Formats: sequence, C-alpha cells, structure tokens
Amino acid sequence: MDVKAQVSMVFHLDKCIGCHTCSVACKNIWTDRPGAEYMWWNNVETKPGTGYPTRWEDQEHYKGGWRVDEHGGGDRDLELRCQSKADSFLKLFYNPNQPGLQDYYEPWTYTYQDLFDAPQGDDQPTALPVSQITGQPMDIKAGPNWDDDLSGSPIYAENDINLDELTDEERAQMFEIERMSMFYLPRICNHCANPSCVASCPSGALYKRGEDGVVLIDQEKCRGWRACVAACPYKKIYFNWKTGKSEKCILCYPRLETGQAPACFHSCVGRIRYLGVLLYDADRVADAMKVPDRALVESQRSVLLDPHDPEVISAALANGISEGFLEAAQDSPVWDYVMRWKLALPLHIEYRTMPMLFYVPPLLPVLGKGENGVFENTAGGLFGTLDKSRMPIKYMARLFSAGNVDVVNASLRKLLAVRFHKRAQQLGDIPADEVRRVMHEAGLDEEAAEAIYRLTALPTQEDRYVLPPLQREEAVAGTCNPELCKGSCGLGFSQKPKRGA
Amino acid sequence: MLNALLFVGLPYVAIFVCIAGSIYRFHSNRFSYSALSSQFLENKKLLWGSVPWHIGLGILFVLHLLPVLMPGPWAVLVANTVALWTIEIVGLAAAILALGGLGLLIFRRLVNPYVQAISTSMDFVVLALFLGQIILGIVTALSFRWGARWAPGTTTPYLWSLLTLQPDPSYVADMPVVIKMHITGAWLIVLAIPFSRLVHVFSLPFEYLFRRPQKVVWNNPRRSQARAAEVPVVEERRLFLRGFAGLAAGGALLSVGVLDKLVRFYRGPSLSPAEEAELMERNVKKLQMTLQEREFELERMRQDYILVARLSELDARRGKYFIDYQMRPALAYLGEDGLPLFISAKCTHLGCTVQSDMNAEGKILCPCHVSYFDVKTGEPTPGSPALTPLPHIGWVVMDDKDQVIASKWPGKAVVGKVPAESKASCRVFIAKEHGETA
Repeated sequence: MDVKAQVSMVFHLDKCIGCHTCSVACKNIWTDRPGAEYMWWNNVETKPGTGYPTRWEDQEHYKGGWRVDEHGGGDRDLELRCQSKADSFLKLFYNPNQPGLQDYYEPWTYTYQDLFDAPQGDDQPTALPVSQITGQPMDIKAGPNWDDDLSGSPIYAENDINLDELTDEERAQMFEIERMSMFYLPRICNHCANPSCVASCPSGALYKRGEDGVVLIDQEKCRGWRACVAACPYKKIYFNWKTGKSEKCILCYPRLETGQAPACFHSCVGRIRYLGVLLYDADRVADAMKVPDRALVESQRSVLLDPHDPEVISAALANGISEGFLEAAQDSPVWDYVMRWKLALPLHIEYRTMPMLFYVPPLLPVLGKGENGVFENTAGGLFGTLDKSRMPIKYMARLFSAGNVDVVNASLRKLLAVRFHKRAQQLGDIPADEVRRVMHEAGLDEEAAEAIYRLTALPTQEDRYVLPPLQREEAVAGTCNPELCKGSCGLGFSQKPKRGA
Repeated sequence: MLNALLFVGLPYVAIFVCIAGSIYRFHSNRFSYSALSSQFLENKKLLWGSVPWHIGLGILFVLHLLPVLMPGPWAVLVANTVALWTIEIVGLAAAILALGGLGLLIFRRLVNPYVQAISTSMDFVVLALFLGQIILGIVTALSFRWGARWAPGTTTPYLWSLLTLQPDPSYVADMPVVIKMHITGAWLIVLAIPFSRLVHVFSLPFEYLFRRPQKVVWNNPRRSQARAAEVPVVEERRLFLRGFAGLAAGGALLSVGVLDKLVRFYRGPSLSPAEEAELMERNVKKLQMTLQEREFELERMRQDYILVARLSELDARRGKYFIDYQMRPALAYLGEDGLPLFISAKCTHLGCTVQSDMNAEGKILCPCHVSYFDVKTGEPTPGSPALTPLPHIGWVVMDDKDQVIASKWPGKAVVGKVPAESKASCRVFIAKEHGETA
C-alpha cells in the first residue's frame, strides 16, 4: 500500500449559477499576459453544449486519455490514446492531435486608444477589434464561452457529443423549447491520479507533487514538444504560443501553501466549490483504471482510503504524510461527498485518468409543461420523479459515470430525498410515510440527510475549504508571491521569462 | 590561407562555440532551450513542411555520417554498383524531400501573419543557411557524381584529421568550389546551433523511451526522512559514495592503462625466442615476395609486348585496368572507331587511381579530389583540381598468328587496319617501344 494524499475538489452543480466569476478571477491572476490570452485554466461551460475547446469531449478526434489494450489471456493494459513510445518521436515535428488556435478562439482586444485619438467628425469614434496575436483588425467568430446559455440552440448544443447515445425522441424532448433545460459545468484541471499528460511528456517536465498531488509543469524542463496538450482528454493543458511551453491550472499552489483557497474557489459566488484532502493507494491506481467502463466509478472509489482507518493512518505516516495532512483528510468535505454519501461523481471517468475533481450532478426534475402557451404544473408530486427529469439520465450518466445510469440515479435519488426531508421538516406538506419511503429508497437516514443539507446549503468558508497545513519552508523553492508573478509566467518565475532566439 | 581559415579555423571555432555555447545557454537560459513550435498558430502547411523536412534531413544526416563512422565497410558497400546507385538515389530523393519541406516552411514564415508574430531574425538566418546548404548539396550530387565513392577518400579523412587534432585541410583544399562551399556551410550551421532554435537537437527526449509512465516529485524533506527511517544509510552519503566509487574506478582504469603504456615504452619490445623466430620468418617471406615482384617487373620490362586483353573484351564505357611498362595503372576502352583507346589512370593531380566507369558525358572520375577527365581527350573538366590531361598510351593489335596488324603511337594516326572478320580473334598489347614515351 503506497498511501498518497491528494488535495481534491467537489463542485456542486446544483448551486452553480454560471456567472464566470471563477474564470475571471483565474484569468486576472494567471493568464492575463502575452501568449496566454486564449487560455482559461478555469472555464464554465453550458451543458448541453460543445464546450471549450470546441467538442473537447470527442476523443476520436482529439485522442486524449487512456484506452485499454486487450492482450491474449485476458491481460489488460492501459495505453495512451495519442501516442506510443515508438511513434512519439515522429510526433515531435508535428503532432496530429494537437488542437490549433481555431479549436479555441483567436484572442482579441479593442483599439480603445482610437476613442481618444480620433479627429473630430460627425460620427462617434469606435473601438475596432484587433487580434492579440497579429495586431491586425479581425472579425470575432468565436470566444471562450461562445455557446454560453445556448443549450437549446441547434447550431451549438446539438453538436454535444454526449447526446450521441440518446434516441431521436429523447433529443426532441430535450430541445423542445419550453422544456429546454441546461446546467453549467465549471472545469479546471482535474489533477488526476493517473494523469495521461504526465505519462505523455517526452521531456519529463510534467509531474505530480508528492505532498498534495497537484499536477505541475516544470517550465525549465518543458521543451515544447506539445504531447501533453494532445494527451489530456479534458484539454486542460494549453500551449503558450509566445514562450513555446505548455501551461496548466496549478491549483493556485502559491495560495494553497499560504493557507488560502485557490482563486476560483475563493471567488465562487454560488459557493459551489469544496476543497479537501483524499487519501488513495497509488499502487492500485493503474489496475483500478483497467476495469470495464460501467465499473469505473466504483473502481475509483475502491482506491480511495478511509482516513479514519488505523492501518491507513500508520501506512500514511510511514510514507511521509504529515499528521496535519491526515487531520485535514479526516475533516475533508470531499471525503464526505465522494465516499460517505457517494453524491459526487468524476467527470468522464471513461478517459481513465482517475480525475480527482468530483461533481455533484444537478437535479433537474420536471415541474410543469407548456400547453397552448400556458404553463401548467403537471408533475405528480411537488418534485416529480427522476424518470421525468428534464435532462435525460442517460445524458448525465454519459458525463458523470461512463454511461452507468445506476450510479447517477443513486446520487440523484439521495439529493431528492434530502429535499423531501427538508420540505417535510420545514413546511410539513408531504406525508411522513412518503418521506420515509423516498429516504429508504435513497438509502439515507435522517442524520445523513441533515448533514448533507448543512454542508450543501449552510457551509462556512472553513467547512468548504479544509486546507492541509502546508508549510512555506517545505514548499517549492520556486514558489513566489502571486502578486509578484502577475504579468510574468507565474509558474516558479519571479521575472519575465526570456526566450531568446 | 583561405583554406586553413575555412577548413581548420572555422571548424574548430564552430565546434568549440557550439559545445561551449550550448552548455552555457542550457545553464543561463534553460527556459529557451527548445525550438518555438508554431503548430498552434498554423498547422496545415506545417504538416507538409515540417515532416518531410525532418525526415529528409534525418536520412541525409545518416548518409553523411556513415562513411565517417565506418569508412571501411562503407567503401566495400559502395564498390557494389547496385548499392551505390541505391545510396545516391535515396540521398537525392531525401534532399529533394527536405528541399520541398524547407521551401514550404520558408513560405509560411514569410507569408502567414500568425507565424510572423513569433518569428525572430535568427529563424530566417537558420532557414537561409539550410536552404543554401541543401541546394549546394544537390548541385554537388548532380555535377560531381558518386559522392558515396569519393567521400571515404576525401571528407572522411579530413573529418578524422580534425577529430584527432591533426588537421589536414589538403584532403578538401583542392576540391571544386561547390563542394568547398557545402563543407563551409556545414560548419556555419554547427556554429549557429547555440544562438538559434537549433539547440532543440540537443533536447531530443531519448529518456522518454525508458522512463515509467508516472512521475511524482516530493518537495519537502518529510518524505526522505520517513524513508531514512527504513534505510539506515543516508541517501546523500550513499549517492556521494556511489559517485566517488565510480570516479575512483574510472581513474584506476585510466592510470593502469597509462602506466602499462609507459612501462612498455621504457622496456622496449620484448619477444620470446619462438616469437622472434616467427617474426624473422615472416620478414624473410616478405623479402622473398618483394624479390619475386621485382623479378616479375623485370621480366615484363624485357618483353617487347604485354598482353592487355582480347579486342572483343574491351568495352566502350567500362574501362579495363592494366599496368603499363612503368608499373602505373592505366585503362583500356574500346574507341568509337572500334579500335582500342588506352589512357593512363594515374591522376595528374596527386596520383590517385582514376575510376574505370565513364559517366554519361564520357568522363571518368578521380575519387580523391573529384577531378573529372574526358577519356577521348584526356583533358580535365574546368574546375577540377587536376590541371594537366591524362596521357594516352600507345597500343598494338595482333592477329591470331602473332602478326602485328595495327598499331598506334600516342598523338599519331593509326597504322594498319583491323579487318572486321578477324576482330574476334585479335589481341591488344602495349609495346615496349611506346612505353618509354608514355
């Protein structure tokens, strides 16, 4: 047993209002500089939708993540989808799977100075859009959240690859204008436990920090071969066209090391984000990711270790995990959501990178129906049933459980049960046996329902962010003050990186 | 003077600057130690530019390197005509492939505004250097053919003379200008490496082939402390000991080797009686063989005629080697008039033996410094290192009754006639009376 600690995350999608404050906070600190204008280490997508970069979930096209290679005799091996060791050298000159600028969008600014410098005339002066790469005037054709809130739109949302498995009927139902529904999906780097980006890096520049599992790129070691950009199935590694290096979300490690939550967490308006430590057995990760798609979520859970188990504690201490980290793991809200209540699920675990960012799926029950222009409450009970959910469960399963409907259903059922429980408690308009039935079906007791309610609806900052006590003197030598780093590379540099020839 | 500068001074400066500069850049600005990829900004033309360019260049690099690394096996290989043709064609195809790719790369860098946004002047210097180099290489391959054959006798010893610190520019000093420019261009490219994107050749990720997929880095000392409790030896001390042991072992090997040489040098050769007897016997045999050779030469000199070949054996394009009265190499061809054509095969430049196969223009090549000679006139092509023509040699044709029916003195008209019906049985000789003048 090789116990490792991971600072991991839960995003509660029911609470996300899609305000993009997280993206802006991240942009302001880390990617507001030449070469990184187009990068959004944190972005918020509308689902159904194509996301950023466009259709990033289409691994037939982008070739991210791992695939299982079946050998004779029942042997299963994990192989990178994008390259093998043999052909990785050919892909140094030209990587066929690397997304180009057109897959993201061309960053632009406006000629604001024209507003001041324009000579007197009959018309108001205008600020024209200019490319931030070439400086030439340009037509804006795409942006980082171009299909924001357009989930009913046939030109954008219809291209969502997760809709592939739905029947035409289900699709039609989803896109019927009155029943149109959507939710937001904020995405940062998953800081995976089995990262394909690390495995793909020819230079060995990518690594996982032993202490907290943050995946980082050593900018001094990166030689710009771009294999990681192709290998990451979440497309959360970006190529800086100015410095020729890859960059990614660093989970604001300079902030973590000084006891602050990452900027996107700290600024979250809907308070959807939770941060805590998970312990896992690094020896079993690769094997756990070889099981068939349906079993992947359960397989990942089996690798996570109970921080209260004395055996795990002694193994963790022997492995150099500090007592402070263990305490944080025992108080972790992530442990509660992922393991105690099994509410939070990984995003696209079928990429087999074992993502360590978990999502509580959104509960979107049917409330009513539009008929002859009149909205009528047609749902049976107040909350309806899961089968009538506005978002087909199959769609949710495609996102959060590699297609296993049962896993998503179990999670949604619990969320529904908590609502029944609270509604009955506060307004008393649901019969007690009805509540008991729903609670029983979900496998929840009152105590757990109450705990879920408290951590979901009333958490303080201390409840949401249980930060492990990282000591500054133990931290990375190159760590620098975020303010100092602003405007420079920000990844272990305190001065502007100079490329030279 | 210019030769010493270009073929001794420049290479040493280039190699030194390349090594020292690349190390310095690695330590002073490691961040910049790569080529700046522009695939993100423009990826359609890059595919058809970069891939052919790198593959073509890789093939060319190997073909240039092999004769340097293993001149012996290489010379044996290219002695085979099929292998020679294959190598020349593959090389030329690779060069054209690389030139096409490079052309596209230059075009996109000149035209595409996105690529221009990240282009530096050094990028254009590098592209221009390579463009010139590839064109010079193609011109060399086309106008001074069979480089695979002449390289082992020219550029290979030249490079080895540089590597062994006994620089000898004379191997290449007399070569045609185009080839000299091609060699100079190579050194300029080496010189440009540490100042340009070319440093990426030193960051090729061979380590990737051997490493495990995942990588974990611990930054705090807790981990090593935890591990130290299990392993009694402190990691650093073990590393130091290991390093020291390695150094000591290497040093010991080196000093044993040096001491051995010193001792042998001062003691002089020491042989057992049996070995001495064997050595003596070998020397005697060698002397006997030399004596036989000399006698054979004398015997030849005494003869009035020496047989070269049957007339029917001579070929118009592929020469037959023979030895003339002065024991010098010469070549026998069948002339256009159906009569023999004898020409000396000893290059008038520095005395190498000229190759026997004519090229399409009816010229034969001296592989040492790339001189071409016209077989009909003996004149060297303008630009060749050789300045004086290869002399023709006189011949005598005899019929099957050993009667001289035709003969030719160099520079004079043919005397006599060879009847067509007796051609099959005729034999061609060199004559002693001609030999003195050749």
